[in-house]
Amino acid sequence: MSGIVIHLPEGNGGDATTLRLGPGERVRFGRGSARTPVELRLDDESVSRLAGEIRATDDHWQLSNLSATHGYLVENPEGAGEYLRVPPRRVGAPIPFEFSRVVLPSRRETPLSFQVFAPDHVYLDPHALGGGSWESRTLTAYSLDETATYFLVLVALCEPWLRDSSPVAVPTTPQVVERLSGPGAHAGLTARAVSSHIDYLADEKLASASRRPRTAPNARPAATASARPSSPSP
Amino acid sequence: MVRRGTVAADSGEPELLPVGHRIGPWIVGEPIGAGGWATVYAGRRAEQAAADPHEDRLADGLRGQPDQDQPNDPDVHEVALKVMPTAGLAPRQARNVAEAAHRELELGRAAGHPRLVRLLDSLVLSAPDRPSLDGAIVLVTERARCSLRELLASSVTDTECARLVTGICEGLDHMHRSGWVHADLKPENILIGRDGQVRLSDFGFAIELTGTHGWTAPMGTLDYLPPERWREPLGERGIQIRPSADIWALGIIIHEVFAHGAYPFPGATPTARGAAVQEYAEDRAALRMDGTVPEFWRALAADCLAATHAARAPHTAESLLERIRTHATEDGTRCSGPRRPRVRRRLRFAALLVTLGCAAAAAALWAYGGADDDTQAPSHIQVFNAERGCQDRADREPQCSLGLAIDPLRPYTADNVVGTRVWHGDVLDAECQLPQGQPIIDEEDLRSTTWFRVRLPRVGAAAPRPHTAWLPAVRTKDRPSLPHCTAR
Repeated sequence: MSGIVIHLPEGNGGDATTLRLGPGERVRFGRGSARTPVELRLDDESVSRLAGEIRATDDHWQLSNLSATHGYLVENPEGAGEYLRVPPRRVGAPIPFEFSRVVLPSRRETPLSFQVFAPDHVYLDPHALGGGSWESRTLTAYSLDETATYFLVLVALCEPWLRDSSPVAVPTTPQVVERLSGPGAHAGLTARAVSSHIDYLADEKLASASRRPRTAPNARPAATASARPSSPSP
Repeated sequence: MVRRGTVAADSGEPELLPVGHRIGPWIVGEPIGAGGWATVYAGRRAEQAAADPHEDRLADGLRGQPDQDQPNDPDVHEVALKVMPTAGLAPRQARNVAEAAHRELELGRAAGHPRLVRLLDSLVLSAPDRPSLDGAIVLVTERARCSLRELLASSVTDTECARLVTGICEGLDHMHRSGWVHADLKPENILIGRDGQVRLSDFGFAIELTGTHGWTAPMGTLDYLPPERWREPLGERGIQIRPSADIWALGIIIHEVFAHGAYPFPGATPTARGAAVQEYAEDRAALRMDGTVPEFWRALAADCLAATHAARAPHTAESLLERIRTHATEDGTRCSGPRRPRVRRRLRFAALLVTLGCAAAAAALWAYGGADDDTQAPSHIQVFNAERGCQDRADREPQCSLGLAIDPLRPYTADNVVGTRVWHGDVLDAECQLPQGQPIIDEEDLRSTTWFRVRLPRVGAAAPRPHTAWLPAVRTKDRPSLPHCTAR
């Protein structure tokens, strides 16, 4: 339970920002003003001064829509078009996705959006024999979503080792891209996407909050790996 | 894409062995539990089954086949058979199962102890007609009466709770001393033996330490993981595990035992409680324990639940056990304390055992003090003043002096104090002890009903009158084994 990560890409009314929230912590987002300070600033006219609040709860997060007029959309970029609509004035809507893109209406050509990752989702062991309540079960493996793209990337990275136990040959990012480029749901994965998946695995899923060097060569990330500022004090 | 999985594992329902199936010298009974990797069956030794009329048909088939290599232990007829299937697993997964079994064996061999479940035998199941079970590893252990989790579902007296926690501590102390970390301590893995005593079990994930820590895969049960686990960096060999991880789990268990199974952190689900643990560890929430947990145990659990490894490290199983024992001897009233009325039968039986045990201990003490206590050579005890400002001054400041009582059975007030004062560091001659005088609580909330009868020091040439007075046990750190005082 190490919390959630919020990432605001550049070009959404401000610089790229990454915030990390522990369980129970929250951030406010919006245009902000001297009287209504916000931790996540979205500098766009169409966004309310205090547009909403994100709160890390248990293993997921909650979105409060503090706008009286605009509804927000939370998309699951990995899902088959799954999304949630959070109507105006809705408080504490639980968000079930591990990866989310929060979309706010805007008068610009592209809508404003930022991403929220919830890496704490718990998965039971793949080979548990069952019996008893899951709550008291011993978990022996990492909590990984085997249907997620990051899992596919992980398998591609580990393929040489899984096939012939060679710990030396770790594929490079271009090799992973090449390996996953065949027909299928994941066609068109870019090197940049692969890098950020590797990043996500290394930083969030496999070694919570540790900043260790990355395992794969050439896996220097482009998108999310800018130095992470410390989380804000709520 | 790599697909892992087998028919047996994916179908969710593992194939079960039929009642009466024979594994080596053991006969399989009803399934009694299923864990992550194993199914546990009741079992019994084959000859035992032969004597049982219900097993006649099977026994006929088996009679006349002498078992050569079985361990001969007439005590153990009722056993638990832990069957860990390996069939259909990827080589690495099968290796994990084998390693888990190996660790249990290794620990059973190297670190046997009355508080650890006894491993009797280990075999490989040969069942060619049941492919999903063929080649499974079978561990044979003594059969327990129930698990601590099941026991907590009924009402347990405080006396019983104290005994259970002491037992868990003893087992843990032994494991840590032998260089092992349990790594998956929880009420489901703490069994209550047929004799009512605690048995730690399930050493499939136990880690042998190399130096101060061992390495493991990041595993455990959500509710019992220490807060640092979520930020432990992953190294080439896994993550570090240290005995302090067991101590955290012990803190949770102490709370659960005394608070009727309630968890010390709020939340309806393990994930919510895990989040609450993080909030506590990041100092955004205080530790709020249940009010039903008695003071001494609450303090003990709070030390076990220190938020960091560094803060928890001084509280080893050994030091906790020491505190529990000191507490038990000081607080001799526990054994005869009031018992809650509705206790289940088996619990009453267990409580009776405790009472008997305590009675035996008390008898031993009295026997020790049987001789005329005045003839006993006195023990030296050093006065201790819990007031820190007084501990390092030698000027005999009156403010720092401590009084000695005239009568330890009357309230400890100004008119019940002798004229002679004592100071921190003074050494007194103690003649005997009274375990059940007026309870005294010192400045650091230590409570004790024990008093020591001490000889008053001579002032000048004249012998002091009276010769003796009483020092409360909280005013010294020494615990001499003195006889009980007889009435004077």
